[in-house]
Amino acid sequence: MTLGTSSRAALHAAAWSLLAARGIAAQTTATVDVGASTVRYDGFLPSGAASVTPAATWTRPGATLIARGSYLRFESGHRSLEGLIAASLFTPPALLPDGWRGEVTVSGGGSSYADFASFWHATGEARLHFVAPGRGAWMGATAGRTSYGSAARPVAVAGIGGWARRGWLMLTASASRSFIGDTAYTDVESTAEVGAGAWGLHGSVGARISSRGGGHGVYGAGEATRALSQRIAVFVSGGRYPTDPVSGSVAGRYLTVGVRIRNPTPRRPPTWDPVQRGRAPAAADGEATLAPQIEIRPAGDRGVRLLVRAPGASSVELAADFTDWHPVMLERVMEEGAWQLLLPVASGLHRLNVRIDGGKWIAPAGTTRSADEFGSEVGIVAVP
Amino acid sequence: MMRASGYVVLLSLCLVAPFSRAAAQGDPRLERLDEATRPVVVALIDTARAVGLPVNPLVERALEGAIKGAPGATIATAVRRLAADLGRARDALGSGASPVELDAGAAALRAGAGPDVLTRLRRARGHRPVTMALAVLTDLVARGVPIDTATTAVLTLAATARDEDLVDFRRAVERDIAIGAPPAAAASIRVNAAAREARPGRP
Repeated sequence: MTLGTSSRAALHAAAWSLLAARGIAAQTTATVDVGASTVRYDGFLPSGAASVTPAATWTRPGATLIARGSYLRFESGHRSLEGLIAASLFTPPALLPDGWRGEVTVSGGGSSYADFASFWHATGEARLHFVAPGRGAWMGATAGRTSYGSAARPVAVAGIGGWARRGWLMLTASASRSFIGDTAYTDVESTAEVGAGAWGLHGSVGARISSRGGGHGVYGAGEATRALSQRIAVFVSGGRYPTDPVSGSVAGRYLTVGVRIRNPTPRRPPTWDPVQRGRAPAAADGEATLAPQIEIRPAGDRGVRLLVRAPGASSVELAADFTDWHPVMLERVMEEGAWQLLLPVASGLHRLNVRIDGGKWIAPAGTTRSADEFGSEVGIVAVP
Repeated sequence: MMRASGYVVLLSLCLVAPFSRAAAQGDPRLERLDEATRPVVVALIDTARAVGLPVNPLVERALEGAIKGAPGATIATAVRRLAADLGRARDALGSGASPVELDAGAAALRAGAGPDVLTRLRRARGHRPVTMALAVLTDLVARGVPIDTATTAVLTLAATARDEDLVDFRRAVERDIAIGAPPAAAASIRVNAAAREARPGRP
Protein backbone atom coordinates (compact mmCIF):
# COMPACT_ATOMS: atom_id res chain seq x y z
CA MET A 1 0.00 0.00 0.00
CA THR A 2 1.09 3.56 -0.54
CA LEU A 3 0.88 6.33 1.94
CA GLY A 4 0.70 9.98 0.94
CA THR A 5 3.43 12.30 2.19
CA SER A 6 1.07 14.02 4.57
CA SER A 7 -0.17 10.70 5.96
CA ARG A 8 3.37 9.58 6.60
CA ALA A 9 4.15 12.87 8.27
CA ALA A 10 1.08 12.60 10.49
CA LEU A 11 1.84 9.06 11.53
CA HIS A 12 5.49 9.83 12.05
CA ALA A 13 4.57 12.70 14.33
CA ALA A 14 2.04 10.55 16.19
CA ALA A 15 4.63 7.87 16.77
CA TRP A 16 7.19 10.44 17.83
CA SER A 17 4.77 11.91 20.33
CA LEU A 18 4.18 8.50 21.88
CA LEU A 19 7.86 7.70 22.11
CA ALA A 20 8.66 11.09 23.54
CA ALA A 21 5.83 11.01 26.04
CA ARG A 22 7.98 10.43 29.06
CA GLY A 23 10.52 13.01 28.02
CA ILE A 24 8.21 15.98 27.87
CA ALA A 25 8.02 18.03 31.01
CA ALA A 26 4.34 18.92 30.59
CA GLN A 27 1.64 16.41 31.37
CA THR A 28 1.41 13.71 28.76
CA THR A 29 -1.00 10.84 28.53
CA ALA A 30 -0.49 8.04 26.07
CA THR A 31 -3.03 5.34 25.32
CA VAL A 32 -3.21 2.39 23.01
CA ASP A 33 -6.57 0.92 22.08
CA VAL A 34 -6.49 -2.61 20.74
CA GLY A 35 -9.77 -3.88 19.39
CA ALA A 36 -11.63 -6.31 17.24
CA SER A 37 -14.42 -4.94 15.08
CA THR A 38 -17.06 -5.92 12.68
CA VAL A 39 -17.67 -3.09 10.25
CA ARG A 40 -19.85 -2.52 7.24
CA TYR A 41 -19.07 0.55 5.20
CA ASP A 42 -21.92 1.80 3.03
CA GLY A 43 -21.81 0.02 -0.30
CA PHE A 44 -19.40 -2.67 0.92
CA LEU A 45 -19.80 -6.14 2.39
CA PRO A 46 -19.41 -6.54 6.14
CA SER A 47 -15.93 -7.37 7.31
CA GLY A 48 -14.08 -8.22 10.46
CA ALA A 49 -11.14 -6.05 11.37
CA ALA A 50 -8.46 -5.80 13.99
CA SER A 51 -7.37 -2.35 15.06
CA VAL A 52 -4.57 -0.69 16.97
CA THR A 53 -5.06 2.94 17.87
CA PRO A 54 -2.25 4.73 19.67
CA ALA A 55 -2.88 8.24 20.91
CA ALA A 56 -0.98 10.79 22.90
CA THR A 57 -2.24 13.94 24.53
CA TRP A 58 0.17 16.57 25.71
CA THR A 59 -1.32 19.19 27.91
CA ARG A 60 -0.09 22.42 29.32
CA PRO A 61 -2.20 25.09 30.95
CA GLY A 62 -3.93 26.69 28.02
CA ALA A 63 -2.61 24.32 25.39
CA THR A 64 -3.34 20.82 24.18
CA LEU A 65 -1.63 18.74 21.55
CA ILE A 66 -3.20 15.49 20.43
CA ALA A 67 -1.63 12.95 18.12
CA ARG A 68 -3.49 9.87 17.13
CA GLY A 69 -2.96 7.08 14.69
CA SER A 70 -5.05 4.09 13.70
CA TYR A 71 -4.13 0.88 11.97
CA LEU A 72 -6.87 -1.43 10.72
CA ARG A 73 -6.42 -4.80 9.12
CA PHE A 74 -9.47 -6.27 7.44
CA GLU A 75 -10.42 -9.86 6.75
CA SER A 76 -9.48 -9.34 3.13
CA GLY A 77 -5.93 -8.54 4.13
CA HIS A 78 -6.34 -4.90 3.18
CA ARG A 79 -5.04 -2.34 5.58
CA SER A 80 -6.15 1.14 6.51
CA LEU A 81 -3.95 3.75 8.13
CA GLU A 82 -5.00 7.06 9.60
CA GLY A 83 -3.17 9.75 11.49
CA LEU A 84 -4.19 13.02 13.04
CA ILE A 85 -2.48 15.81 14.90
CA ALA A 86 -4.46 18.61 16.50
CA ALA A 87 -3.26 21.42 18.69
CA SER A 88 -5.36 23.87 20.70
CA LEU A 89 -4.34 27.10 22.33
CA PHE A 90 -6.64 28.78 24.84
CA THR A 91 -6.61 32.46 25.63
CA PRO A 92 -5.40 33.38 29.14
CA PRO A 93 -8.27 33.81 31.63
CA ALA A 94 -7.47 37.50 32.10
CA LEU A 95 -7.80 38.33 28.40
CA LEU A 96 -11.57 37.97 28.17
CA PRO A 97 -14.35 38.68 30.68
CA ASP A 98 -15.04 36.13 33.42
CA GLY A 99 -16.26 32.84 32.01
CA TRP A 100 -15.17 33.47 28.40
CA ARG A 101 -12.27 31.66 26.79
CA GLY A 102 -11.04 31.74 23.24
CA GLU A 103 -9.55 28.69 21.54
CA VAL A 104 -7.61 28.32 18.33
CA THR A 105 -7.09 24.84 16.95
CA VAL A 106 -5.08 23.62 14.02
CA SER A 107 -5.27 20.05 12.85
CA GLY A 108 -3.85 18.01 10.08
CA GLY A 109 -4.16 14.40 9.15
CA GLY A 110 -4.16 11.80 6.50
CA SER A 111 -5.63 8.41 5.80
CA SER A 112 -5.03 5.66 3.37
CA TYR A 113 -7.02 2.54 2.49
CA ALA A 114 -5.40 -0.35 0.59
CA ASP A 115 -3.52 1.12 -2.36
CA PHE A 116 -6.18 3.20 -3.99
CA ALA A 117 -7.60 5.78 -1.60
CA SER A 118 -5.68 8.39 0.31
CA PHE A 119 -6.79 11.61 1.92
CA TRP A 120 -5.17 14.48 3.70
CA HIS A 121 -6.60 17.53 5.36
CA ALA A 122 -5.36 20.63 7.14
CA THR A 123 -7.76 22.90 8.98
CA GLY A 124 -7.79 25.72 11.48
CA GLU A 125 -10.64 26.46 13.86
CA ALA A 126 -11.44 29.33 16.16
CA ARG A 127 -13.89 28.88 19.02
CA LEU A 128 -15.30 31.16 21.63
CA HIS A 129 -16.32 29.35 24.81
CA PHE A 130 -18.54 30.48 27.61
CA VAL A 131 -18.09 28.42 30.76
CA ALA A 132 -20.36 28.58 33.80
CA PRO A 133 -20.82 26.15 36.69
CA GLY A 134 -22.14 22.94 35.20
CA ARG A 135 -22.76 24.30 31.73
CA GLY A 136 -21.12 26.01 28.81
CA ALA A 137 -21.53 26.97 25.20
CA TRP A 138 -19.33 27.66 22.24
CA MET A 139 -19.41 28.93 18.72
CA GLY A 140 -16.74 28.37 16.15
CA ALA A 141 -15.62 28.53 12.57
CA THR A 142 -13.25 26.26 10.63
CA ALA A 143 -11.36 26.83 7.41
CA GLY A 144 -8.87 24.69 5.57
CA ARG A 145 -8.22 22.30 2.74
CA THR A 146 -8.83 18.65 2.12
CA SER A 147 -7.73 16.43 -0.71
CA TYR A 148 -8.72 13.08 -2.13
CA GLY A 149 -6.09 12.12 -4.64
CA SER A 150 -6.43 15.12 -6.91
CA ALA A 151 -6.72 18.84 -6.33
CA ALA A 152 -7.40 20.06 -2.83
CA ARG A 153 -10.86 21.38 -2.00
CA PRO A 154 -11.62 24.22 0.38
CA VAL A 155 -13.23 23.46 3.74
CA ALA A 156 -15.44 25.88 5.65
CA VAL A 157 -17.50 24.96 8.70
CA ALA A 158 -19.53 27.08 11.11
CA GLY A 159 -20.82 25.56 14.33
CA ILE A 160 -22.44 26.19 17.66
CA GLY A 161 -22.77 23.96 20.67
CA GLY A 162 -23.60 23.75 24.32
CA TRP A 163 -23.07 21.39 27.23
CA ALA A 164 -24.53 20.88 30.66
CA ARG A 165 -23.52 18.66 33.51
CA ARG A 166 -25.76 17.43 36.33
CA GLY A 167 -24.12 15.05 38.72
CA TRP A 168 -22.90 12.06 36.76
CA LEU A 169 -24.62 13.12 33.55
CA MET A 170 -23.17 15.35 30.88
CA LEU A 171 -25.16 16.41 27.84
CA THR A 172 -23.99 18.21 24.74
CA ALA A 173 -25.77 19.49 21.68
CA SER A 174 -24.23 20.97 18.57
CA ALA A 175 -25.06 22.00 15.06
CA SER A 176 -22.73 22.73 12.18
CA ARG A 177 -22.94 23.64 8.54
CA SER A 178 -20.09 22.39 6.36
CA PHE A 179 -18.95 23.33 2.87
CA ILE A 180 -16.31 21.12 1.24
CA GLY A 181 -15.87 22.11 -2.37
CA ASP A 182 -19.27 21.57 -4.01
CA THR A 183 -20.50 19.47 -1.09
CA ALA A 184 -22.57 21.07 1.64
CA TYR A 185 -24.47 19.63 4.59
CA THR A 186 -25.73 20.36 8.07
CA ASP A 187 -25.14 18.06 11.06
CA VAL A 188 -27.08 18.29 14.28
CA GLU A 189 -25.90 16.08 17.09
CA SER A 190 -26.41 15.49 20.77
CA THR A 191 -24.46 13.33 23.17
CA ALA A 192 -24.99 12.02 26.67
CA GLU A 193 -22.26 10.84 28.94
CA VAL A 194 -22.79 9.09 32.23
CA GLY A 195 -20.08 8.07 34.61
CA ALA A 196 -20.08 6.40 37.98
CA GLY A 197 -17.05 4.94 39.61
CA ALA A 198 -15.09 2.95 37.09
CA TRP A 199 -17.89 2.99 34.51
CA GLY A 200 -18.29 5.42 31.69
CA LEU A 201 -21.17 5.36 29.22
CA HIS A 202 -21.37 7.55 26.17
CA GLY A 203 -24.10 7.81 23.59
CA SER A 204 -24.62 10.08 20.64
CA VAL A 205 -27.34 10.62 18.10
CA GLY A 206 -27.30 12.94 15.14
CA ALA A 207 -28.78 13.68 11.79
CA ARG A 208 -27.40 14.97 8.52
CA ILE A 209 -29.83 17.30 6.84
CA SER A 210 -29.90 19.89 4.08
CA SER A 211 -27.24 17.93 2.29
CA ARG A 212 -25.86 18.40 -1.20
CA GLY A 213 -23.52 15.53 -1.93
CA GLY A 214 -22.84 14.64 1.71
CA GLY A 215 -25.56 12.06 2.26
CA HIS A 216 -28.62 12.18 4.48
CA GLY A 217 -29.80 10.24 7.47
CA VAL A 218 -29.68 9.60 11.14
CA TYR A 219 -26.62 8.23 12.87
CA GLY A 220 -25.63 7.38 16.39
CA ALA A 221 -23.22 5.43 18.49
CA GLY A 222 -22.84 4.10 22.01
CA GLU A 223 -19.91 3.10 24.06
CA ALA A 224 -19.30 1.62 27.50
CA THR A 225 -15.94 1.81 29.22
CA ARG A 226 -14.99 -0.03 32.37
CA ALA A 227 -11.73 0.85 34.10
CA LEU A 228 -10.12 -2.29 35.47
CA SER A 229 -7.24 -0.44 37.06
CA GLN A 230 -5.66 2.94 36.70
CA ARG A 231 -3.97 1.83 33.50
CA ILE A 232 -6.31 -0.63 31.85
CA ALA A 233 -9.88 -0.27 30.69
CA VAL A 234 -12.10 -2.36 28.49
CA PHE A 235 -14.68 -0.93 26.15
CA VAL A 236 -17.40 -1.95 23.80
CA SER A 237 -18.73 0.46 21.24
CA GLY A 238 -20.95 0.37 18.22
CA GLY A 239 -23.17 2.39 15.99
CA ARG A 240 -23.33 4.18 12.72
CA TYR A 241 -21.44 7.26 11.65
CA PRO A 242 -21.81 9.48 8.59
CA THR A 243 -19.38 10.16 5.81
CA ASP A 244 -16.82 12.77 6.75
CA PRO A 245 -15.64 14.45 3.55
CA VAL A 246 -12.97 16.38 5.47
CA SER A 247 -11.07 13.42 6.90
CA GLY A 248 -12.12 10.98 4.20
CA SER A 249 -13.99 8.48 6.35
CA VAL A 250 -16.84 6.60 4.65
CA ALA A 251 -20.19 6.12 6.39
CA GLY A 252 -20.49 2.78 8.09
CA ARG A 253 -21.80 0.63 10.89
CA TYR A 254 -19.52 -0.99 13.42
CA LEU A 255 -19.24 -2.94 16.62
CA THR A 256 -15.94 -3.02 18.47
CA VAL A 257 -14.69 -4.73 21.61
CA GLY A 258 -11.34 -3.61 22.88
CA VAL A 259 -8.95 -2.80 25.63
CA ARG A 260 -7.33 0.54 26.39
CA ILE A 261 -3.91 0.67 27.98
CA ARG A 262 -2.54 3.94 29.21
CA ASN A 263 0.61 5.27 30.74
CA PRO A 264 0.66 5.95 34.49
CA THR A 265 -1.34 8.93 35.66
CA PRO A 266 1.01 11.65 36.78
CA ARG A 267 0.19 12.38 40.40
CA ARG A 268 1.89 14.64 42.84
CA PRO A 269 1.63 14.60 46.59
CA PRO A 270 0.26 17.89 47.87
CA THR A 271 3.42 18.79 49.66
CA TRP A 272 6.46 20.69 48.66
CA ASP A 273 8.38 19.40 51.57
CA PRO A 274 11.86 18.71 50.18
CA VAL A 275 12.09 15.68 52.43
CA GLN A 276 9.03 14.22 50.73
CA ARG A 277 9.83 15.28 47.19
CA GLY A 278 12.01 12.33 46.45
CA ARG A 279 9.38 9.80 47.46
CA ALA A 280 7.33 7.97 44.93
CA PRO A 281 3.91 9.55 44.68
CA ALA A 282 1.33 7.93 46.82
CA ALA A 283 -1.13 5.60 45.21
CA ALA A 284 1.10 4.77 42.33
CA ASP A 285 -0.13 2.39 39.72
CA GLY A 286 -0.18 -1.24 40.45
CA GLU A 287 -2.01 -0.80 43.72
CA ALA A 288 -3.56 -3.90 45.16
CA THR A 289 -7.06 -4.31 43.85
CA LEU A 290 -8.21 -5.56 47.26
CA ALA A 291 -7.05 -2.43 49.05
CA PRO A 292 -9.79 -1.05 51.30
CA GLN A 293 -12.00 1.49 49.65
CA ILE A 294 -13.95 4.22 51.37
CA GLU A 295 -17.12 5.98 50.32
CA ILE A 296 -18.46 9.03 52.08
CA ARG A 297 -22.16 9.69 51.75
CA PRO A 298 -24.45 12.26 53.32
CA ALA A 299 -26.51 10.84 56.18
CA GLY A 300 -28.88 13.71 56.88
CA ASP A 301 -28.88 15.00 60.43
CA ARG A 302 -26.45 12.32 61.50
CA GLY A 303 -23.66 13.82 59.43
CA VAL A 304 -21.96 11.51 56.98
CA ARG A 305 -21.81 7.77 56.53
CA LEU A 306 -18.33 6.41 56.01
CA LEU A 307 -18.49 3.05 54.27
CA VAL A 308 -15.30 1.03 54.00
CA ARG A 309 -15.13 -2.04 51.79
CA ALA A 310 -12.44 -4.36 53.09
CA PRO A 311 -13.11 -7.95 52.02
CA GLY A 312 -11.71 -10.47 54.44
CA ALA A 313 -11.07 -7.99 57.25
CA SER A 314 -11.82 -8.93 60.85
CA SER A 315 -11.71 -5.35 62.10
CA VAL A 316 -11.60 -1.93 60.48
CA GLU A 317 -10.61 1.25 62.31
CA LEU A 318 -10.58 4.81 61.11
CA ALA A 319 -8.62 7.76 62.44
CA ALA A 320 -9.08 11.24 61.06
CA ASP A 321 -8.88 14.87 61.97
CA PHE A 322 -12.62 14.71 62.68
CA THR A 323 -12.02 11.97 65.27
CA ASP A 324 -9.13 13.92 66.77
CA TRP A 325 -7.02 11.07 65.41
CA HIS A 326 -8.54 8.67 67.89
CA PRO A 327 -8.97 5.24 66.32
CA VAL A 328 -12.67 4.53 65.91
CA MET A 329 -13.88 1.00 65.23
CA LEU A 330 -16.28 0.63 62.31
CA GLU A 331 -19.33 -1.62 62.47
CA ARG A 332 -19.76 -4.52 60.10
CA VAL A 333 -22.82 -4.13 57.88
CA MET A 334 -24.87 -6.70 56.05
CA GLU A 335 -23.09 -6.18 52.77
CA GLU A 336 -20.22 -8.60 52.39
CA GLY A 337 -16.91 -7.07 53.38
CA ALA A 338 -18.41 -3.67 54.20
CA TRP A 339 -17.97 -1.64 57.38
CA GLN A 340 -19.53 1.65 58.31
CA LEU A 341 -19.43 4.58 60.67
CA LEU A 342 -21.81 7.49 61.11
CA LEU A 343 -20.22 10.73 62.25
CA PRO A 344 -20.84 14.45 62.12
CA VAL A 345 -18.18 15.88 59.83
CA ALA A 346 -17.84 19.56 59.02
CA SER A 347 -17.70 20.73 55.42
CA GLY A 348 -14.19 21.10 54.08
CA LEU A 349 -11.02 19.19 53.43
CA HIS A 350 -10.27 16.32 55.82
CA ARG A 351 -7.41 13.91 56.40
CA LEU A 352 -8.00 10.29 57.31
CA ASN A 353 -6.44 6.85 57.51
CA VAL A 354 -7.83 3.37 58.06
CA ARG A 355 -6.34 0.29 59.68
CA ILE A 356 -7.26 -3.28 58.87
CA ASP A 357 -6.92 -5.96 61.55
CA GLY A 358 -4.70 -3.74 63.68
CA GLY A 359 -2.11 -3.37 60.92
CA LYS A 360 -0.48 -0.25 59.53
CA TRP A 361 -2.44 2.98 59.03
CA ILE A 362 -3.10 3.33 55.32
CA ALA A 363 -4.82 5.75 53.00
CA PRO A 364 -7.78 3.93 51.47
CA ALA A 365 -8.84 4.04 47.85
CA GLY A 366 -11.62 6.53 47.33
CA THR A 367 -9.56 9.32 48.83
CA THR A 368 -6.93 11.49 47.25
CA ARG A 369 -3.89 9.75 48.65
CA SER A 370 -0.92 11.84 49.44
CA ALA A 371 2.39 11.65 51.22
CA ASP A 372 1.96 12.95 54.73
CA GLU A 373 4.80 14.53 56.69
CA PHE A 374 5.40 11.44 58.78
CA GLY A 375 6.80 9.05 56.23
CA SER A 376 3.51 7.43 55.27
CA GLU A 377 0.33 8.31 53.42
CA VAL A 378 -2.83 10.14 54.30
CA GLY A 379 -6.15 10.12 52.50
CA ILE A 380 -7.67 13.50 51.73
CA VAL A 381 -11.38 13.94 51.19
CA ALA A 382 -13.51 16.98 50.46
CA VAL A 383 -16.80 16.86 52.33
CA PRO A 384 -19.45 19.23 50.93
CA MET B 1 6.74 34.59 48.08
CA MET B 2 5.99 34.80 51.79
CA ARG B 3 4.72 38.16 52.93
CA ALA B 4 6.20 40.03 55.86
CA SER B 5 3.63 38.83 58.36
CA GLY B 6 4.24 35.27 57.21
CA TYR B 7 7.88 35.73 58.15
CA VAL B 8 6.79 37.18 61.48
CA VAL B 9 4.77 34.05 62.21
CA LEU B 10 7.64 31.78 61.26
CA LEU B 11 10.16 33.85 63.19
CA SER B 12 7.89 33.91 66.21
CA LEU B 13 7.53 30.15 66.06
CA CYS B 14 11.28 29.72 65.92
CA LEU B 15 12.27 32.25 68.54
CA VAL B 16 9.42 32.58 70.96
CA ALA B 17 8.11 29.05 71.05
CA PRO B 18 10.96 27.49 72.98
CA PHE B 19 10.36 29.95 75.86
CA SER B 20 6.59 29.87 75.81
CA ARG B 21 4.48 28.48 78.58
CA ALA B 22 1.37 27.01 77.23
CA ALA B 23 -2.24 27.49 77.80
CA ALA B 24 -2.34 24.61 75.35
CA GLN B 25 -1.03 22.43 78.13
CA GLY B 26 -4.64 22.44 79.21
CA ASP B 27 -5.68 20.74 76.00
CA PRO B 28 -6.09 17.13 77.10
CA ARG B 29 -5.63 15.87 73.57
CA LEU B 30 -1.95 16.73 73.72
CA GLU B 31 -1.50 14.28 76.57
CA ARG B 32 -1.18 11.70 73.83
CA LEU B 33 2.20 13.11 72.84
CA ASP B 34 5.24 11.76 74.60
CA GLU B 35 6.76 13.82 77.36
CA ALA B 36 9.68 15.05 75.31
CA THR B 37 7.56 16.17 72.36
CA ARG B 38 4.62 17.68 74.23
CA PRO B 39 6.35 20.84 75.56
CA VAL B 40 7.78 21.67 72.14
CA VAL B 41 4.43 21.29 70.42
CA VAL B 42 2.62 23.13 73.20
CA ALA B 43 5.02 26.04 72.84
CA LEU B 44 4.51 26.14 69.08
CA ILE B 45 0.76 26.09 69.50
CA ASP B 46 0.76 28.82 72.13
CA THR B 47 2.90 31.00 69.93
CA ALA B 48 0.53 30.46 67.01
CA ARG B 49 -2.38 31.36 69.26
CA ALA B 50 -0.58 34.52 70.35
CA VAL B 51 -0.39 35.72 66.77
CA GLY B 52 -4.05 34.90 66.21
CA LEU B 53 -3.78 31.70 64.22
CA PRO B 54 -6.25 28.84 64.66
CA VAL B 55 -4.69 26.19 66.84
CA ASN B 56 -6.97 23.23 66.23
CA PRO B 57 -5.33 22.29 62.90
CA LEU B 58 -1.97 22.36 64.68
CA VAL B 59 -3.21 20.08 67.45
CA GLU B 60 -4.68 17.76 64.85
CA ARG B 61 -1.42 17.61 62.91
CA ALA B 62 0.49 16.72 66.06
CA LEU B 63 -2.03 14.02 66.91
CA GLU B 64 -1.77 12.61 63.39
CA GLY B 65 1.98 12.34 63.83
CA ALA B 66 1.52 10.71 67.23
CA ILE B 67 -0.89 8.04 66.02
CA LYS B 68 1.49 7.20 63.20
CA GLY B 69 4.38 6.84 65.60
CA ALA B 70 6.42 9.69 64.11
CA PRO B 71 9.48 10.92 66.03
CA GLY B 72 8.97 14.02 68.15
CA ALA B 73 11.23 16.17 65.97
CA THR B 74 9.21 15.24 62.88
CA ILE B 75 5.98 16.11 64.62
CA ALA B 76 7.36 19.46 65.73
CA THR B 77 8.57 20.21 62.21
CA ALA B 78 5.18 19.38 60.77
CA VAL B 79 3.39 21.60 63.28
CA ARG B 80 5.82 24.45 62.71
CA ARG B 81 5.42 24.21 58.96
CA LEU B 82 1.64 24.12 59.17
CA ALA B 83 1.65 27.19 61.42
CA ALA B 84 3.76 29.05 58.88
CA ASP B 85 1.34 28.02 56.11
CA LEU B 86 -1.63 29.15 58.16
CA GLY B 87 0.06 32.52 58.54
CA ARG B 88 0.63 32.80 54.81
CA ALA B 89 -2.96 31.76 54.17
CA ARG B 90 -4.20 34.48 56.50
CA ASP B 91 -2.07 37.04 54.69
CA ALA B 92 -3.60 35.97 51.41
CA LEU B 93 -7.22 35.48 52.52
CA GLY B 94 -7.44 38.39 54.91
CA SER B 95 -7.78 38.62 58.65
CA GLY B 96 -11.50 37.88 58.45
CA ALA B 97 -10.91 34.36 57.14
CA SER B 98 -12.42 31.62 59.26
CA PRO B 99 -10.23 28.93 60.84
CA VAL B 100 -11.62 26.37 58.39
CA GLU B 101 -10.77 28.64 55.47
CA LEU B 102 -7.25 29.13 56.79
CA ASP B 103 -6.81 25.39 57.16
CA ALA B 104 -7.95 24.86 53.55
CA GLY B 105 -5.77 27.75 52.43
CA ALA B 106 -2.72 26.23 54.11
CA ALA B 107 -3.36 22.95 52.30
CA ALA B 108 -3.69 24.77 48.97
CA LEU B 109 -0.41 26.61 49.56
CA ARG B 110 1.26 23.32 50.42
CA ALA B 111 -0.11 21.89 47.16
CA GLY B 112 1.66 24.62 45.24
CA ALA B 113 -0.93 27.37 44.84
CA GLY B 114 0.54 30.83 45.15
CA PRO B 115 -0.81 33.28 47.73
CA ASP B 116 -2.16 35.37 44.86
CA VAL B 117 -4.40 32.47 43.89
CA LEU B 118 -5.92 32.47 47.38
CA THR B 119 -6.44 36.20 47.18
CA ARG B 120 -8.11 35.95 43.77
CA LEU B 121 -10.35 33.13 44.98
CA ARG B 122 -11.37 35.20 47.99
CA ARG B 123 -12.19 38.10 45.71
CA ALA B 124 -14.11 35.88 43.30
CA ARG B 125 -16.18 34.26 46.05
CA GLY B 126 -17.07 37.56 47.68
CA HIS B 127 -18.71 36.97 51.05
CA ARG B 128 -19.26 33.29 50.46
CA PRO B 129 -16.90 30.80 52.12
CA VAL B 130 -13.86 29.93 50.09
CA THR B 131 -13.26 26.62 51.87
CA MET B 132 -14.68 24.27 49.27
CA ALA B 133 -13.06 26.09 46.36
CA LEU B 134 -9.70 25.70 48.07
CA ALA B 135 -10.43 22.08 48.96
CA VAL B 136 -11.29 21.25 45.35
CA LEU B 137 -8.20 23.07 44.10
CA THR B 138 -5.98 21.07 46.46
CA ASP B 139 -7.69 17.83 45.56
CA LEU B 140 -7.26 18.41 41.81
CA VAL B 141 -3.56 19.06 42.23
CA ALA B 142 -3.16 15.92 44.30
CA ARG B 143 -4.86 13.99 41.48
CA GLY B 144 -2.23 15.15 39.03
CA VAL B 145 -3.85 18.22 37.50
CA PRO B 146 -1.14 20.85 36.98
CA ILE B 147 -1.50 23.67 39.43
CA ASP B 148 -2.01 26.30 36.73
CA THR B 149 -4.76 24.29 35.09
CA ALA B 150 -6.47 23.53 38.39
CA THR B 151 -6.25 27.17 39.38
CA THR B 152 -7.71 28.36 36.09
CA ALA B 153 -10.56 25.87 36.32
CA VAL B 154 -11.49 26.72 39.89
CA LEU B 155 -11.11 30.44 39.35
CA THR B 156 -13.34 30.23 36.28
CA LEU B 157 -16.07 28.59 38.33
CA ALA B 158 -15.53 30.38 41.61
CA ALA B 159 -17.44 33.55 40.87
CA THR B 160 -20.80 31.89 40.36
CA ALA B 161 -20.48 28.28 41.50
CA ARG B 162 -22.12 26.92 44.62
CA ASP B 163 -20.11 24.55 46.78
CA GLU B 164 -22.16 21.67 45.34
CA ASP B 165 -21.14 22.74 41.82
CA LEU B 166 -17.50 22.66 42.81
CA VAL B 167 -17.87 19.19 44.31
CA ASP B 168 -19.66 18.01 41.15
CA PHE B 169 -16.86 19.44 39.06
CA ARG B 170 -14.27 17.60 41.13
CA ARG B 171 -16.21 14.34 40.76
CA ALA B 172 -16.45 14.78 37.00
CA VAL B 173 -12.71 15.31 36.78
CA GLU B 174 -12.10 12.26 38.98
CA ARG B 175 -14.28 10.10 36.74
CA ASP B 176 -12.68 11.39 33.55
CA ILE B 177 -9.25 10.57 34.90
CA ALA B 178 -10.47 7.11 35.91
CA ILE B 179 -11.54 6.26 32.35
CA GLY B 180 -8.43 7.55 30.70
CA ALA B 181 -8.44 11.32 30.35
CA PRO B 182 -5.25 13.21 31.13
CA PRO B 183 -5.81 15.01 34.44
CA ALA B 184 -5.06 18.38 32.90
CA ALA B 185 -7.51 17.87 30.07
CA ALA B 186 -10.14 16.52 32.45
CA ALA B 187 -10.08 19.79 34.34
CA SER B 188 -10.15 21.95 31.25
CA ILE B 189 -12.96 23.03 29.01
CA ARG B 190 -15.09 19.98 28.38
CA VAL B 191 -15.57 20.32 24.64
CA ASN B 192 -12.06 21.08 23.55
CA ALA B 193 -12.12 21.27 19.76
CA ALA B 194 -8.96 19.23 19.40
CA ALA B 195 -10.25 16.34 21.50
CA ARG B 196 -13.81 16.00 20.31
CA GLU B 197 -13.28 13.23 17.78
CA ALA B 198 -11.48 10.79 20.04
CA ARG B 199 -14.12 8.11 20.63
CA PRO B 200 -12.70 4.64 21.11
CA GLY B 201 -13.54 1.76 18.88
CA ARG B 202 -14.73 3.53 15.76
CA PRO B 203 -13.02 1.87 12.79
